[in-house]
Amino acid sequence: MTLTTPMSPDGPPSVRIRDLTVVYRTAAGELPAVRDVSMDLAPGTVTGLVGESGSGKSTLALSLLNAVQPPGRISAGSVDIGGLGDVVQLRGDKLRQARGGQIGYVFQAAQNSLNPLKTVGKQLLDLGRSHDVKDLRALVAEARDLLARMGLDGARVLDSYQHELSGGMRQRVGIMLALVLNAHVVVLDEPTTALDMITQANILEIIREIHAERGLTTLVITHDIGVVAEVADEIAVMYGGRLVEQGPVRAVLGDPHHPYTRGLIQAIPRLTGDIDEAQALPGRPPTLTTIPDQGCVFRSRCALRMDVCDTVDPLFQSTGDRMVACHAVAPAATFTTTTSESEREMTPSRAWSGIGSGRREPAADGDGVVARETNEGDSA
Amino acid sequence: MKGIARRLAGHLARGLVMIWVVLTFTFVIVSIMPGDPVQAEYELLLQQGHSPQQAEAQTAMLHRFRPTGSVLEQYLEYMGSLLRLDLGQSVVTRVDVSTILGEATRWTVIPVLIGTVLSFVLGVLIGVYAAIKRSGKLGDALTLSGSLLRGLPDFVVALILAAIFATLWPVLPRSGAVNILYEPGFNLDYILSLGQHAILPIATYAISSYGGWILAMKSSVVTVLGDDFILAAELRGMKRSVIFRYIARNAILPLFTIFALSIAALFSGAIFVERIFNYPGLGMLLINSIGRRDITVMTGAFLLITAAVIVANIVADMFYTVIDPRVRRAGDAA
Ligand SMILES: Nc1ncnc2c1ncn2[C@@H]1O[C@H](COP(=O)(O)OP(=O)(O)OP(=O)(O)O)[C@@H](O)[C@H]1O
Ligand code: SF4
Ligand SMILES: [Mg+2]
Repeated sequence: MTLTTPMSPDGPPSVRIRDLTVVYRTAAGELPAVRDVSMDLAPGTVTGLVGESGSGKSTLALSLLNAVQPPGRISAGSVDIGGLGDVVQLRGDKLRQARGGQIGYVFQAAQNSLNPLKTVGKQLLDLGRSHDVKDLRALVAEARDLLARMGLDGARVLDSYQHELSGGMRQRVGIMLALVLNAHVVVLDEPTTALDMITQANILEIIREIHAERGLTTLVITHDIGVVAEVADEIAVMYGGRLVEQGPVRAVLGDPHHPYTRGLIQAIPRLTGDIDEAQALPGRPPTLTTIPDQGCVFRSRCALRMDVCDTVDPLFQSTGDRMVACHAVAPAATFTTTTSESEREMTPSRAWSGIGSGRREPAADGDGVVARETNEGDSA
Repeated sequence: MKGIARRLAGHLARGLVMIWVVLTFTFVIVSIMPGDPVQAEYELLLQQGHSPQQAEAQTAMLHRFRPTGSVLEQYLEYMGSLLRLDLGQSVVTRVDVSTILGEATRWTVIPVLIGTVLSFVLGVLIGVYAAIKRSGKLGDALTLSGSLLRGLPDFVVALILAAIFATLWPVLPRSGAVNILYEPGFNLDYILSLGQHAILPIATYAISSYGGWILAMKSSVVTVLGDDFILAAELRGMKRSVIFRYIARNAILPLFTIFALSIAALFSGAIFVERIFNYPGLGMLLINSIGRRDITVMTGAFLLITAAVIVANIVADMFYTVIDPRVRRAGDAA
């Protein structure tokens, strides 16, 4: 490829999000949809971001491109991407070049991500010219190749208008357009929602493949924990604009620590399991106006709620193999909110004490078994 | 291309039906009109000593309405001659109707087209601006001006313009198409005079349709701005100029559907506007011919106005078809 790749030649870039807050202007003033989120995407990993609708996943993802749409804006924090610097500070042409060029984004509504009046091929050329690609022929060949790998007839698709493609085909075109410029950070916002199960599995496999082949750092947003189990190395769980748990997929799915993560996993009916085992999480997720501005955002639905949960924000801190934000899990439940940055770093801090596991006894074991089965099934 | 041909055929078929309906309607009106000028002519010829046969032949040749004979016969004769594109001669002046129409058509078509293009270009540009600045004061003001102007009928605009620029502050001629003192031809005085006389009618057409274009373009741009593919293009780092072209082309597309309507509306508006400015176009011709009971000219004017509206519809639709792949390709596949 003749495409320029300004990434550091030594491997995939890292993504460091620090204290990110994104607010939307509403009738009730500016309300945070993402609040104080700190998160690392380790170079070369696939991170799955899950959470109920409205938890702020797309808003967080758009922040990676500094592309939060009005009436929203990033009100605090930074997003450091290896080789690019803090994208929150990027402006003008630099920011534009970073979008698409270094950070590929597959839009949540990828079925509608094409100009209805132009063929896919023409839009591909527009993309290439926007990013000063010299060899457009090579770009087209690359696009055809990517489409072919996703099971499409590349030449035909490039010659098609949006209305001539099915929802699944459009979504794959969206993925192709995010990858074709050789971006090294790729964000996929619900990349497989329009697809049937088999196509979905196929696409996820290709995403994984290309991820490994090109040395990408990838963030996949989804409602579907099954998708995470299939493609991701890491999982991050969001609730009410907060990150509540993040860690290796196997560890977190096998032994969820945060009560919300546990609820999410229990809510999945499994093909092999008893339907009664699936328990819907009671209650509804908060909206922008109902997110409490102090204390734990999850408390209204939490069975482990304590007095401290009403007043003190649980810190997002390391508990051995992962990060969790919960008073019932953190070894120091009475910690005040003055704890600083260092607490959020992924340094192995206080060892996981027995308190938590003692409390979670029966549920945790049950979940562990089921989730492990899921994992093994996938890798087989 | 097969799709386009099919649409064109459909339009032509509908157009012919429409023309037939209008012509029949005209025939009915003429038949029930009091003071039948053909009958009067016939009687005049008899008085002048012509034989009934001669008088009948002469009147029939003149204007296709036989003063005797059944209504059906009259109708068939009338339609037959029109089918042969033989419009006859003016009852009043004995000039060929096609010559009269040709003369009058220029005075309507050219100002209406200039006015439409002017208001379209202005309305589209201002509409885009109003859409982009929709949360600002200027954007609001522009939108408001659009709503107000759209509510004004064109004859009101014409009267206001006439009052201001021809009466209160008489900088422009009030009536006619050109100052008759000047020698027609390619000389500066004549051309300037033409221009001066055309300003008010053109301004009327432009102003009365411009409000519609602003509002239509604004809402269209706002819709497109909210479309997912614009955000997607931004997230892919497309250049601003590329995104602007995406927006413009998608937003302007729906306007072509109302382009035909707008031209049709202006043609019918021309009837009043030309009367106010005493401008010798088709509308004026129609009114005068009705006043003088000049049925051949009246029928010809009706026919021409109908045909113009149909052609405007076809042109707008063809344009739409050519630039919208959803219509174009769908037709091909079918
Ligand atoms: N343009 C906007 N104006 C006001 N509030 C908004 C806007 N966009 C999003 N929000 C709010 O921000 C919160 C987070 O929205 P976001 O789209 O990031 O959620 P999500 O996790 O991606 O949800 P989903 O799974 O449904 O895509 C929601 O409460 C939503 O109502
Ligand atoms: S902090 Fe308290 S309310 Fe929040 S999840 Fe933990 S135990 Fe439940
Ligand atoms: Mg979303």
